[in-house]
Amino acid sequence: MKSPIHSAFPALSRRDWLKLSACGTFGLSMSGWLSAMADEARATKERKRSCILLWMSGGPSQMDTFDLKPDHENGGSFKPIDTSVPGIQISEHLPKLAQQMQHCAVVRSMLTKEGDHTRATYLLRTGYLPQGPVQYPTLGSVWSHQLGSEESELPNFVSIAPYRFLSPAAFGPGFLGPKYAPLIVGDGNPNVGRNADYEKTLQVKNLAAPAGVIAEQTDSRLELLAGLEADFAAGHPGTPSASHRAAYLQAVRMMRSEAVKAFDLSPEPEALRDAYGRNQFGQGCLLARRLVERGVPFVEVSLNGVQGAPGLGWDTHQDNFGAVQKLSETLDPAWATLLDDLKTRGLLDSTLVIWMGEFGRTPKINDMKGRDHFPAAWTTVLCGGGIRGGQVVGKTSPDGMTVAERPVAVADFLATACLALGIDPMGQNTSNVGRPIRIADPNAKPIEEALA
Amino acid sequence: MKSLAGIVLAGLFVLDQSGLCLAQPAPAAAPSTRDAALADDAQRLADKIDEIIARRWKAEQVIPAAPVDDAAFMRRVTLDIAGKIPAVSDLHEFLDDSAAYKRRHLVERLLESPAYITHFSSVWRAVMLPEADTDLQMRALVPGFEAWLRKQFSANASFDAVVREILTVPVDPRLAANPLQPQSDVTPVGFYQAKQLKPENLAAGTARMFLGVRIECAQCHDHPFDDWKREQFWGYAAFFAGVERDQNAAAGALDAIKELFGGRSLSIPGTDKRVVPTYLNGDSPQLKFRDSPRTILADWMISEQNAYFARATVNRLWGQFFGIGIVNPVDDFTAQNPPSHPELLDELARQFVAHKFDFKFLIRAITASKTYQLSSRESDKSQQNPRLFARMALKGLSAGQLFDSISQATGFHESVTNRNPFGMMNNTPREEFVRMFEDSNETITERQTTILQALSMMNGQFVADATGLEKSAALVAIADFPLMTTPERIEALYLAAFSRKPRPDELDRLVLYVDTGGPAKDTRKALSDVFWALLNSSEFLFNR
Repeated sequence: MKSPIHSAFPALSRRDWLKLSACGTFGLSMSGWLSAMADEARATKERKRSCILLWMSGGPSQMDTFDLKPDHENGGSFKPIDTSVPGIQISEHLPKLAQQMQHCAVVRSMLTKEGDHTRATYLLRTGYLPQGPVQYPTLGSVWSHQLGSEESELPNFVSIAPYRFLSPAAFGPGFLGPKYAPLIVGDGNPNVGRNADYEKTLQVKNLAAPAGVIAEQTDSRLELLAGLEADFAAGHPGTPSASHRAAYLQAVRMMRSEAVKAFDLSPEPEALRDAYGRNQFGQGCLLARRLVERGVPFVEVSLNGVQGAPGLGWDTHQDNFGAVQKLSETLDPAWATLLDDLKTRGLLDSTLVIWMGEFGRTPKINDMKGRDHFPAAWTTVLCGGGIRGGQVVGKTSPDGMTVAERPVAVADFLATACLALGIDPMGQNTSNVGRPIRIADPNAKPIEEALA
Repeated sequence: MKSLAGIVLAGLFVLDQSGLCLAQPAPAAAPSTRDAALADDAQRLADKIDEIIARRWKAEQVIPAAPVDDAAFMRRVTLDIAGKIPAVSDLHEFLDDSAAYKRRHLVERLLESPAYITHFSSVWRAVMLPEADTDLQMRALVPGFEAWLRKQFSANASFDAVVREILTVPVDPRLAANPLQPQSDVTPVGFYQAKQLKPENLAAGTARMFLGVRIECAQCHDHPFDDWKREQFWGYAAFFAGVERDQNAAAGALDAIKELFGGRSLSIPGTDKRVVPTYLNGDSPQLKFRDSPRTILADWMISEQNAYFARATVNRLWGQFFGIGIVNPVDDFTAQNPPSHPELLDELARQFVAHKFDFKFLIRAITASKTYQLSSRESDKSQQNPRLFARMALKGLSAGQLFDSISQATGFHESVTNRNPFGMMNNTPREEFVRMFEDSNETITERQTTILQALSMMNGQFVADATGLEKSAALVAIADFPLMTTPERIEALYLAAFSRKPRPDELDRLVLYVDTGGPAKDTRKALSDVFWALLNSSEFLFNR
């Protein structure tokens, strides 16, 4: 049984190590170690496209964002407004996004079966239901594995402020292993989204050597380490030592990379930072753009909580309208500015932006003026690269309770995203139980008309 | 004979309060006649293990790895039983000991140490309350549940009694001993809170933990790869159907619970079919009005009619010591996932039952086996199949083992003084470190490192302090002791971090580095560099 890490990082032979690790002389620079790794990873795939996933924790209300029903009692208090695309209306609390509709395909006919946060989050974020011992990887791991380069200085998958606690396995690399785990920045705790501490948490921790350790010392420490590893790995081949080496190399690469300045938002113009919104989600979207600009193929930004909306993100069982308005006021400027900014920099054509949560919310308003979990007819949005924007896919019934036209399953939606990214959804990875697993469920029927 | 370095470190670590008080065994712990007899049984089982394992090697033409030396054995067994690397003073004592059964005696001392209780409570808390590793709200349940587990391990309660108490503990505040303060005594009730008091979660959790089967996918549909039917899942879940809670109460809240006895039933969601409590073997008990279904389930669970319980438990314990179960993953007993050594599983289970579900007996037997005492170093290609146990697997350290081992190596004491065994958790360096190094990968032999963990080990404050000349007690003692030579200082660092002496080639390389002072042209800083490299290396970060 071979784990992916074996094939990606075949163990260096003892002789290889000895060549590298000086064996009593310490003149060898760290770059030798690194370039050897680069050689190992020579079979690099050509860089394709990038994806930014805007993950809406808790499940956003379709009835109060993209699929308003003003004439029905289920509709609630929000008014629809016109958008840049004639005939498409969305919520009055998304006015800036309304001006970007030409880039968006709104899928109003999502039909899924899972109404529990844990299972639905797993389904939407891996494409599969939790099933026995197979540890399915999250989308970011699978897709960045396809799109990324082994040699890049920045990680191929960055997750900004994930709130993992409802469904932890839906946020990890699963059977692909930690090499494909996200680099996590930001704090997923909904309360952090509500206060001003985000500036600090969006930085990568521990990038600088400890105080008092000079640069040359770091080099020689790593050489000492390389010597120890060479001896040990020779006698202990296998995942643990290979993974140790891979993680240290990626970490060192980041420590030495200019590219890591991407995480420092201070060079961005104040006006642009304001436009994104001075909150963790807004600045997270700005960070996502900076990362994509530097070649990171997959970045996700989670919206877990905003000032004035209690509880987890979009899980609006009570006071739905107050909360969704507040959430929209954070979402709208961040998302609209992101699309505009990507467009200005010529990146929108190669960057797919996905907006989704784990399910929608009940059309019927409950006794606490809230809406509950609802997987039977809800909305997701695809924008930017690979997408034919300015259209609505599917339709729900006048009361919002059922899909009236063109039901879209999770697999269909994710396969569409794969195609927009240039990934073959029928590609395979070998799982932890040895069974091959397709990138998207083999029964998927992609939404052809949404593709550019 | 102790080296000079050894004496310095022995002096340094005499103050070690790490809970591994090897020096003074309690008088009560002197082996009774009964213990001596059990010890012989343990050796017999160890021999049986070796016999079964070796039979398979022969059939598959496997050449096993070499036996471990004393130092490596002590490091391995101390990590496995006490959850951290040995103190250097203990290591010297052990290496100098010339008694015939010193490895058995070491295991005995470790089993009597408080560190065994702490470590096993933490390991089994992770098995029983995995939710707490990923859910912040559930984390609040850990201190209470671990306190209860510690009580079980310090009394060496038999595992059937432990499981019986979990399955039967009153959750209805009206039935608890003191309804006003249901938490005044330690109880395993956190188990129910972690499963949100839902019959389906309790069913999935208990089946996985105590029976080694993953029936949860039968919750929604018949199991795709196995024989579990949806009806079976809900029949089993119906044992927990009497637990009812106010739907508006916060998840896990205890004050809103009622428990009704008698023949309860559950309806399968989305159907109009109702099912009554049914064991996984298909039998349904006759429940009377006042019978608690949970008690009936507990009786069946630990009875000899249940072939799963002892096997699942010994397999899990085996997996804890070897990194890989005889059935692997350890909680996935299915027809499609057969045991590597069925007769060994049977024998371990039989002996476990015969010895009244005593963990310590199994631990004695496993650690006394030649199989456990094989080196982890691969000496022949035929050792590559980990299911044949022809060399010890490298086992990833848990976050707690890693933190406590760094503390042990560097003389850092926070972990002990701040960790009141019955206290609440707080934001100690240990807690922060543990959060960073939590690993949801269930297979410890496939443990992998993330970039953030590597950065934390290389540059984080905790390791910086541990390897710095300002705060690291061990490093400062070694760097500043006036009478030591460079080779002795390096040897002392190796003993502290790797629990072994450096090989001549390692020593040559490092002496040159330290004597020339490294890039900082400072021998003390060069020693710090060496210590840093040792603590960041695979040899330190894995149990070998």
